[in-house]
Amino acid sequence: MRALAPVVLVLALLLSACGGGAPSADGDGTVAVALQFPPRAGYAFDADDGGLLTKLGVAEPLVALDPQGNAVPGLATSWTQDGTSWRFTLRDGVTFHDGARLDANAVVTALTHVLGRPAPPRAITDIGLQVAAEGPMTVRATTTVPDPVLPLRLSSGATSILSPAAYGTGQQPSPVNTATGPLRMTEIRGSEGATLMRFDGYRGERARAARVDVRYVIDPQTRELALRAGDVGFAEGLPETSRAGLAADPSVTFSEFPSARTILLQLNQSAPPFADVRVRKAVTAALDRNVLANQVLGGSALPASDLFGPAVPYGSTQAPPPADVPGAQALLAQAGHGPQNPLRVRLWTFPNRPELPVLAQAIASQLQAAGVATDITIGEYDAQEPEVLAGRYDMFLNSRSYLSDYPDAASTLTSDYTSGGSYAIDGYRSPAFDALVGQLGTVTDTAARARIYRQAAGMLVTDAVGVPIVHPRNTAAEKGVTGFVPDPLDLRPVLPVLAPAG
Amino acid sequence: MTLPVAALALRRLLLVPLVLLAASAVVFGLPRLLGGNVTRSVIRSRSLASAPDPAAEARLAAELGLDRPLRDQYLAWLAGALRGDLGRSFTTRAPVAPQVLGAAGVSATLAVLALAVALAVGLPAGVSAADRPGRVADRAVDRVGSVALAVPEFVIGPALVLVLAVWAGWLPALGWGTADRAVLPVLTLALFPAALAARLVRAETRVALAHPSTVTAVAKGLSRRRVLAVHVLPRSLTAVLAEAGPFLAGTLGGAVVVEVVFDVPGLGRTLAEAIGSRDLPTIQAGVVVVLGVAMLLTLAAELASRALDPRLR
Repeated sequence: MRALAPVVLVLALLLSACGGGAPSADGDGTVAVALQFPPRAGYAFDADDGGLLTKLGVAEPLVALDPQGNAVPGLATSWTQDGTSWRFTLRDGVTFHDGARLDANAVVTALTHVLGRPAPPRAITDIGLQVAAEGPMTVRATTTVPDPVLPLRLSSGATSILSPAAYGTGQQPSPVNTATGPLRMTEIRGSEGATLMRFDGYRGERARAARVDVRYVIDPQTRELALRAGDVGFAEGLPETSRAGLAADPSVTFSEFPSARTILLQLNQSAPPFADVRVRKAVTAALDRNVLANQVLGGSALPASDLFGPAVPYGSTQAPPPADVPGAQALLAQAGHGPQNPLRVRLWTFPNRPELPVLAQAIASQLQAAGVATDITIGEYDAQEPEVLAGRYDMFLNSRSYLSDYPDAASTLTSDYTSGGSYAIDGYRSPAFDALVGQLGTVTDTAARARIYRQAAGMLVTDAVGVPIVHPRNTAAEKGVTGFVPDPLDLRPVLPVLAPAG
Repeated sequence: MTLPVAALALRRLLLVPLVLLAASAVVFGLPRLLGGNVTRSVIRSRSLASAPDPAAEARLAAELGLDRPLRDQYLAWLAGALRGDLGRSFTTRAPVAPQVLGAAGVSATLAVLALAVALAVGLPAGVSAADRPGRVADRAVDRVGSVALAVPEFVIGPALVLVLAVWAGWLPALGWGTADRAVLPVLTLALFPAALAARLVRAETRVALAHPSTVTAVAKGLSRRRVLAVHVLPRSLTAVLAEAGPFLAGTLGGAVVVEVVFDVPGLGRTLAEAIGSRDLPTIQAGVVVVLGVAMLLTLAAELASRALDPRLR
């Protein structure tokens, strides 16, 4: 044991210099959180980081969202449309974290900056958006053609407004002490984390914790262990294998909720064999999506019966039908495939989302039972994308968010399923579908849009445009912290409502 | 230092810039020549669900200089590198050099601490095991060492967290920057080299104990402790030092698992993130730094071995 003496000495020296245990939710109102996705581009608004800043409760766009995803007043209190022009009236008395006051010029500066980026945010790209101050507290926004959902687009975190001091520096605008949210970012530690302090000058409900220490922890198991050890009081995106244990732990409040994402088996309709709808329907019938969700993924996802899941009001909540192998074989026989002419197809997917390779294996196994042989390739998405977009594939297992930065599915339906859409991997060509989705360009009413979404999703099912496999579920857990409100849309602020327990 | 050692050092040092130049050309060219649309990848790394947009890609390519001929891109990068400017990240637009050097500093600290702990445990354990065959230290080097050599870091790390952080509550589970946060990643990273060092030292010590000069020293009546310290340990250290350089170099770029498991902002994690987002300037800078340090450390280890062991001079 004498051999261990040096290491004990080294450890003792290390520990003697330590600054105490890691903070969690302590008495001075500090909450430590472990989030799964670090900033992608140093909190750039033309990246997904604008949405992250909204989720943190740091930055705010003109329009906020209610829990159902409806547009409600944010930095703007009201808005009106007149053809291609919208007028947004700004909220009085809004103060940036650096003390500057919100006015129309500040909004124009912020939106002009993000619109001028080489690749502007998805929410406001391709609509010809221009903004101008029309008065001290009025902003006019114009689009190339009348846009029925501009307020929803401007709820995207990518369109958040920073203080004018953040712009014109020659550098990327920094959110440190320049935003308007209930939490003020005071320190950025690269992609490792950030420090947020309560903004006492906030106009609305104050953040419940005086300080939030944000850590971006990319490994799910590390997030779980950090929560269990008390390093953090809130963690999201927990390991599938830990769900039962966390749910049973009385010291942990575990939440599981749907996400606006679908894992799809995309089928190439532009070439045989999936140009034949009978073959596509045979593949759909051969798959047991309930088994894939509940057994293969252990319940960490919900079986999908159409493109939209329970995260949105117009999503399907019905379970898909069980597998019908005889039906699948009959359809294949009608299409000329059977023991004498077996169908052999390629299935591509990528490992960035670890559930995809697992699902690919299970899908191949289920298809095998119906007489379809599958050759699986797990590759890099970046290499696969040009091939699938060019129609040089058979089946592609993909994971797709059906809301792009704001709670409206029109852009996904357009890019993914209309003729000539920029991400039309399936190669679906349907004038009826194009006309239906085209109506979204003029429909403002939320309920009417929801009806169109339901109808569009139904058409995709009827025409067997790929197979929606599962809707992944999100997870979060609190320990020594209260207040978390699940947001299936993943678009609303999360951290301001967290508070130390007790 | 004798002349041959100085000549060796000079020859190796002169090779460093040449190897780095060749490596930088390979690292620069490979990702661009392997196919795929780099600009599209950069856009996707910043905005995951974005659909292809040729106009946006063209604008971004112009901003990043990706629309220029590959040769011009490389020469521009090389000219910057010679001035200490390793370019700007494709994703964050921030200068790469401070980010990579900062991360390399974290990894270097982690690796040096791990090596120190490994040597602090491995050297005395190996000597003791060789000096008293079949006793506790010898059996521990066999059995504990087998476990430490066989069990990967992604198992050992979480297991240590579970025991020392979750159950005992003695240490934080993740992070870096304070001494208590360093303990678990350092221990995890130290286990393998500690076991390796113990086994190497045990084997070398056994040989050294049987060496005529050692036998003579014992016959002259020198104390056991003095015999071990003066006649045995220098010979035993040679083998360990030969491994120490490559270990440190490998850890600098390769401690990805430990850095991810413990959320340590080191070079391994930085490179892993950069590869995931195809942030080529960060990858280039990281690989060049790792290569340069690896070459220098390997050279330092070789020189130290030669200085300690007259047979190598």
